[in-house]
Amino acid sequence: MSLAVDFRSVTKNFGLVEVLHGVSFSLEPGKVVGLLGENGAGKSTLVKILSGYEQASDGDFTINGVPHRFANSREAEREGVVLIHQEFNLAEDLTIAQNIFLGHEKQKGLFLDDRSMNAAAKAAMQRIGLEADPETKVRRLIVAEKQLVEIAKAVSRNARLLVMDEPTATLTPTETERLFALIAQLKAEGVTIIYISHKLEEVERVTDEIVVLRDGNFVARAPTAETTRQQMANLMVGRDVSDMFPPKDVPPAAEPMFKASGVSVPGWAKDVSFEIRPGEILGFAGLVGAGRTELFEGLLGLRPRSAGRIEIDGQVVDLRSPRQGVRHGIAYLSEDRKGKGLHVKLGLRENLTLLTLERYAHPLLDPKAERVALREKVEEFGIRTGDLNNRAGSLSGGNQQKLALAKFLHADPKIIVLDEPTRGVDVGAKRDIYFLIQRLAREGRGVVVISSELVELIGLCHRVVVMRAGKVQATLNADQLTEEELIAHATGTH
Amino acid sequence: MPPVPTDATTSTLANSPAASLATSQGSRLAQRLQDLGPLLGLILLCIAGWVLNPDFATAANVLNVLTRTAFIGIIAVGMTFVIIAGGIDLSVGSMAALIAGAMILLMNAIGTAIESAYLVVTLGIVFALLLGALFGLAHGLLITKGRIEPFIVTLGTLGIFRAYLTYFANGGAITLDNAVSDVYSPVYYGSLLGLPIPIWVFLLTALIGGLVLNRTRYGRYVQAIGSNEQVARYAAVEVDRIKMLTYVVLGICVGIATVLYVPRLGSASPTTGLLWELEAIASVIVGGTALKGGEGRISGTVIGAILLSVISNILNLTSIISVYLNAAVQGIVIIIVAFLQRSRR
Amino acid sequence: MKSIIRKLTLTAAALTTFAAVGMAPATAAEKVVLGVAIPAATHGFTGGIVFWANQAKKDLEKANPDLKVIVKTAANAAEQANQLQDLMAVSKINALVVFPFESAALTKPVAEVHNKGVYVTVVDRGLTDTSAQDAYVSGDNTAFGKIPAEYLAKAMGGKGNLVALRGIATTLDNERWEAFTGVMKNHPDIKILDAKYANWNRDDAFKVMQDYLTRFKQIDAVWAADDDMAVGVLKAIDQSKRTDIKIVFGGAGAKGMIKTLMDGKDPRIVANVSYSPKFMYDSIKLTAEARLKGEKLPATYIIPSELITRENASKFYFPDSPF
Repeated sequence: MSLAVDFRSVTKNFGLVEVLHGVSFSLEPGKVVGLLGENGAGKSTLVKILSGYEQASDGDFTINGVPHRFANSREAEREGVVLIHQEFNLAEDLTIAQNIFLGHEKQKGLFLDDRSMNAAAKAAMQRIGLEADPETKVRRLIVAEKQLVEIAKAVSRNARLLVMDEPTATLTPTETERLFALIAQLKAEGVTIIYISHKLEEVERVTDEIVVLRDGNFVARAPTAETTRQQMANLMVGRDVSDMFPPKDVPPAAEPMFKASGVSVPGWAKDVSFEIRPGEILGFAGLVGAGRTELFEGLLGLRPRSAGRIEIDGQVVDLRSPRQGVRHGIAYLSEDRKGKGLHVKLGLRENLTLLTLERYAHPLLDPKAERVALREKVEEFGIRTGDLNNRAGSLSGGNQQKLALAKFLHADPKIIVLDEPTRGVDVGAKRDIYFLIQRLAREGRGVVVISSELVELIGLCHRVVVMRAGKVQATLNADQLTEEELIAHATGTH
Repeated sequence: MPPVPTDATTSTLANSPAASLATSQGSRLAQRLQDLGPLLGLILLCIAGWVLNPDFATAANVLNVLTRTAFIGIIAVGMTFVIIAGGIDLSVGSMAALIAGAMILLMNAIGTAIESAYLVVTLGIVFALLLGALFGLAHGLLITKGRIEPFIVTLGTLGIFRAYLTYFANGGAITLDNAVSDVYSPVYYGSLLGLPIPIWVFLLTALIGGLVLNRTRYGRYVQAIGSNEQVARYAAVEVDRIKMLTYVVLGICVGIATVLYVPRLGSASPTTGLLWELEAIASVIVGGTALKGGEGRISGTVIGAILLSVISNILNLTSIISVYLNAAVQGIVIIIVAFLQRSRR
Repeated sequence: MKSIIRKLTLTAAALTTFAAVGMAPATAAEKVVLGVAIPAATHGFTGGIVFWANQAKKDLEKANPDLKVIVKTAANAAEQANQLQDLMAVSKINALVVFPFESAALTKPVAEVHNKGVYVTVVDRGLTDTSAQDAYVSGDNTAFGKIPAEYLAKAMGGKGNLVALRGIATTLDNERWEAFTGVMKNHPDIKILDAKYANWNRDDAFKVMQDYLTRFKQIDAVWAADDDMAVGVLKAIDQSKRTDIKIVFGGAGAKGMIKTLMDGKDPRIVANVSYSPKFMYDSIKLTAEARLKGEKLPATYIIPSELITRENASKFYFPDSPF
């Protein structure tokens, strides 16, 4: 039986702050609905209310005509409503199977029935195309695999209404394709799906209709087929947004400022060579697991490196720690923002100045100067925060990313490596980041962009290095950049 | 407590400036109340002490309590660094005992050869501080380079240090020779501007500790590592070196505490420094530092240490509770104070 | 020549073999393997116990080639019970001198040893079931409380204010305390202001005494109940510069205190009561010698606690002991 949902003036307050102002709309059973809106529009809060993670302050919703109010996610799951989290809610030290069955363990008598749970987990994993041993600890998975575990977890709960919050943010094109196939299959089985994504081309492909929220209000509902991407973006932002990408500058012709030759990172990258010219935006494409992130972690001494030569400005350098990297003018912003990029529990100021504390120590730190710098950067990077004393964790995803960028750029690096710089970031913030990248390149810096969003690489980069299974498969110039070409090299079907 | 927004809901808040302002003011007020928790506990306890026995509030008693607190307090200041960086040191009591014993043995040995007792004491003090730093360094190296859990490393040295002291003392006491003892005793019993020397040293250590923690690069790195070691590593912080240094800082603090302790009784025995590690750790945690690291305050630690010794002082000054229940009273007060400052979860 | 040497060597070898085969059972039968189980040296008194036990091992093994003494120290009752099992199973002892960590907890483990035919001498803390022991050697805890009480009552002229310190809450401490208060009941004009635990620990005694001094404006005498605690008490009084306290009575006759008493260095130290850890030495010696001869010890042997004053102090002074 498919589920139909009707939201009836749902209102939500956090303390004095109202984030949903009486939202009403209905969802037809067995359809895929794209829920659109900028960060802060209230999408996440709304679906959390639907799935029992939050309770509405006022108003309610009906499922197949019956009013419901879920006190917790278990109650929601009992009705078949399951939310796949944007942020991972996985116990890192448990196995994939243990996570999938967390809170729903199968028992044989008094004891856990690990064998049947592993088998069931394996089946769920196969359905979404996650190739791994169900007894692998989640800690050992890469981000994309964790996302797939989240999806497997939801699917295994026999959902009748599935909410996916940015499910493809960390997935590669191939995995995304598999997810879309799964969505089609679930839809055929009569499952209602709410699909939240910033990637409008995906929304266009998989959804039947769209619902747009803005600033806590319902704005529009329309069949997907009748709405263009441009119209969707305009509805979300509330004004006209075109030109996502800055115009491309002429590829620089200067001598390379950075040269890596024959770099190997055991288990991840083998004999990789590339160079970066000043003012160049160099992309790195590849499937998840191709070794792009690990290559750069190896270059900076964050992982052991077994071979390779690194030259900066014609000088051979020995990079063994991030500290040396900073000293040589290289900064690396990790794809894992919360795990490796920002101290979410520390303040904005402490985050901003962490790489450059020596500037503020005479020898005592000067918090006043730090605060001045923070105010400047908040302005310059357009970081939206109510209070400069907030913790970094209180910012939205896009603003956290801007803060992380400000932090690593504060060290004034000559070469900046951005790993998935727009993951989980909304349309407006994405555009800001693209223009920022262009500005950095124009200042004569070398910018490396590692991204799984091909559109982004095509729109931004002067050259793109495509990696597959730890090796450089091809290096493409701007005029060769098409999605087909990139996918072909990344998958080895060229 | 304000609602604790999960990340996704926070993203909803962040785009409306007025909204986030209101929440953050609310949470800051709550935060400030939590920060005041230990102080509030201490004040209530002092009022109780004064009501139960007016002698509690006499200058002499207050100075007694503060002087006693000095040892644990100084160690707790060092412990704050270790705990904020995500570590732990269980060995400090044994370390203090061994440093005390070794220091007395050294002073007795060179006391016969060197004429000036002042020089002997000075050498003894330098030796104690160096030994503390050295023990801390050994801990730090085993933990960072050896990749052994700090709990295990320091549990091991807890036994090692005390066993060696017992061995040196033949199970009895190591006692400082009289001539040296006379010159040395003002370090504990002397006063400066009406305040006993140990209180001055305690204050100074706490002030320097607070300054280092909050106003130097080193202190910032300690907090960054405790908050999230990976993020710190990716931000070019030399994690191993900073962590190692926290143990050295603690070792030096133990050295300072020992330098003050030795002149009090002029001896070291296998009971010296017994359970100091728990008192020091308790002071740090009661003072509002998270046992899992990341957040902490030296001022809280100082209050925590004073609070612990005030409890036993009050129990000694009164006879209302059976002596058999002393430990229970201490336990209850600690839990109440921890409740007052419980952190946002 | 060569052949003679060879012959001699052969003979020697044969002799040795013969000796080894022929003599071994005889030696084993006469040999006494004596296990000594005592608490680890965690404070002055137990430090003395360990010292005297090792001293006994050294002296007795030297004097008696047929004696082997194995000393084990334990940090708690459970560890001591394990050690008893090891002594029996691994070291194959046929005599045991045990200073039980706790009376009740060690009764069963000691009984097990006893049932295997091992001769058991229990020292200081009696077992709850005395059938598990062959002999019992103990210090006199009642006298340990009674003697200072009588001395203090007399010295104070039957009136005045007194504070006391207690050790760790144990039966041992209770026996002493009851004996002390029992005597004091006869002296109603002596007021015991308070008695707090200071764990037989110098530092804790220092703190407790400091707080007594804050709390009580007139104190005539202190029963510190232990020489370690007396050290802390004296330092606290010195610091307060109070002169009202006339007597500090320690206990157990620690080396340093006996020396102070002998030399008359501190007017507040005028007497002590013996409870020397040397009885450990005596117990081991008595047991070993009796067993070597195949004799038994008297069932109970109380080593009397004696009043130590300046006159007889030298008799209780053992400069080599750590205690």
